Amino acid sequence: MDSRLIQMCIEAAAESSDAVEAWRRQRRTLERMPSLLAEALLHRLLHRGLLFPSLLEVFRHSVEKMDLRGQNCVDAEWMAYLGSFHYLSSLNLADCYKISGAALWSIIGITNLKELDLSRCSKMNDAGIRHLSSFPSLERLCISETGVSSEGIRLLSSLTNLYYLDLGGLAVSDLALSSLQGLKKLQFLDLWGSEISNSGAALLQYFPKLSSLNLAWTKVTKLPNLSSLEFLNLSNCTITSIFKGEGDKARLAKLVASNATFADVSGALSNVEIAFLSHLDLSNALIDSFCFLPHLTSVTYLDLGGSPMADDSVENIVCIGAKLTYLSLNNTKVSSEGMEILAGHLPNLETLLLSGTYIDDAAISYIGMMPSLKAINLSGTKIKGLIMQEGSDSSWVPTFSALQNLSQLERLELEGMQLKDAALYPFSILNSLTYLSLQSVILTDESLLLLSASQKLEHLAIRDAVLTNAGLNSFTPPPNLRVLDVRGGWLLTEDAIVLFSRKYPNIKLRHELAVSDRGGDFRYSSPAAQKTVSLKNARKFSVSPPVFDKSALLARDQRIKYTREELLELQFSVAPARFFPR
Amino acid sequence: MAEPSQSKIKKEEMVKLISAEGFEFVISKKAAMVSQTIRNMLTSPGSFAETEHGEVTFPEISTTILEKICQYFYWSLQYASGKETEFHIEPELTLELMMAANYLHT
Repeated sequence: MDSRLIQMCIEAAAESSDAVEAWRRQRRTLERMPSLLAEALLHRLLHRGLLFPSLLEVFRHSVEKMDLRGQNCVDAEWMAYLGSFHYLSSLNLADCYKISGAALWSIIGITNLKELDLSRCSKMNDAGIRHLSSFPSLERLCISETGVSSEGIRLLSSLTNLYYLDLGGLAVSDLALSSLQGLKKLQFLDLWGSEISNSGAALLQYFPKLSSLNLAWTKVTKLPNLSSLEFLNLSNCTITSIFKGEGDKARLAKLVASNATFADVSGALSNVEIAFLSHLDLSNALIDSFCFLPHLTSVTYLDLGGSPMADDSVENIVCIGAKLTYLSLNNTKVSSEGMEILAGHLPNLETLLLSGTYIDDAAISYIGMMPSLKAINLSGTKIKGLIMQEGSDSSWVPTFSALQNLSQLERLELEGMQLKDAALYPFSILNSLTYLSLQSVILTDESLLLLSASQKLEHLAIRDAVLTNAGLNSFTPPPNLRVLDVRGGWLLTEDAIVLFSRKYPNIKLRHELAVSDRGGDFRYSSPAAQKTVSLKNARKFSVSPPVFDKSALLARDQRIKYTREELLELQFSVAPARFFPR
Repeated sequence: MAEPSQSKIKKEEMVKLISAEGFEFVISKKAAMVSQTIRNMLTSPGSFAETEHGEVTFPEISTTILEKICQYFYWSLQYASGKETEFHIEPELTLELMMAANYLHT
């Protein structure tokens, strides 16, 4: 919806409940409205808190896709109205916790429904699945983390048009899986956290089109040969063999095995057709050796974060370095010596993550030899940004100047490090830098002064630093700056924060005392509810002003702030506003 | 001698948009070209009658809406030249206007 006039119309139509009243009786217009426009208007109304069940009805002839994800207000009444949306093909009800199995009965008349997302609707149960069996046209179904049992899953066998099935977090047994063998069109299957064992995994061969499979957090150790598979997730599994068996080998493109345990990684991967493997995630995996790496000639994305990788195995990465664009070695034992081995062998690397490694300032000059780098993370390392120059007049020299040849460097993360102001001098010559995140308790106002020269910066974080009001006040932000994050700046006062926000309204200032970071996200549908909450706040603080509980204030879940009695009171003060007929 | 050629230039610069009820709006070609649909009609070689006469009929768009659309064309030109004023849309027109905008690719 790139048209400006359409955007302006939608804004005007969803401006207030009075605006809604002005058009809601134009039934004939609403009926012939193109679905894309109707959907854009409906979702705008939803986010403005102006949509309620009886208004839904005006869209029933025009809307084909509806996304009600995370809308706490969606309940059985909404479902009753949705039942008359005969053209609806896609309905997303993820995280609508009021939706129960019985509520699905209302929508069984929508014969066009192809996609249904009920993820994390905890009241959704086997009875609901029974209603679902009247949707033979259903192609995509997500019921992860619901109350559906193995019995309910067996009922899905009648939905033979399914190509996408998400059963994550459900107790799917081998028996339940075997009853789904008739779903021959299945391409995507998510079974994380299920009770599938090796004998269940053997049944996966009966899905001839399966291309994406998630078996994370299961007891599966051996996978049969699944020749159509392209994406495989075996995170948190103990893996002994993948794709052992007869027939064509799978052209696996992506393998995720983070936190997995390999007794013999070369053996486990020996049946995988590695020529197509481009994405390999082995973060935090227990791996006996890295000798298999040189064979992975097509890999461009390699995550070895938290694995036993160390300087003596870095040589294995060098062999496949020419193709790599993403490399994570976070929290490994790799040191500057390892970086010396890698330097010059990673010509196409765009992202390099080295947080929590053993590297020091010596590594920076090696990183400077990787010409395509766009993003670097060096957080939590021993890098100081300054080294003592050897020679007659010993002086401190900033080491980050070694990055000056990285003409594409956009993102730099340097958190949890002992960086001094003087280390920041070279940043002004990094011409493409748009995102810089610093966290150091010894940075001062001078850092702000230095960084105002980085003209391209859009996001700047200087956290936990010794910034003063005067420093913030005299800071001239770079022209494109959108976010300034000074959280943990314990010397700053509310006045200075407010002053800065007023002076630069386009910049989002993040600080514990900034308004946007304080209020939390109110997601109440009616203005009446908001009013009640703010009154509550006022009362609470006036009762105990000296104890200003910051953690409660910052808590995302507003319910934590109230006792059970207060919540009940709130509930009844809100309810009439919502059910009042408009 | 100079007069007919001058009026010819003038005629070329203006276009006539006709609403469902037959009301005619004569606006500058530059303004009308804010709409991608009208631009295509007026600039595509030959085939469209609209190209020759500089006249476009919209049997689906009512007079009220077409008037608003023309206002928007001029507002849009102003906006593009840096004059940032507000374009007010009456809520009762939003639906029809949205659909017309969708059809006109503006």
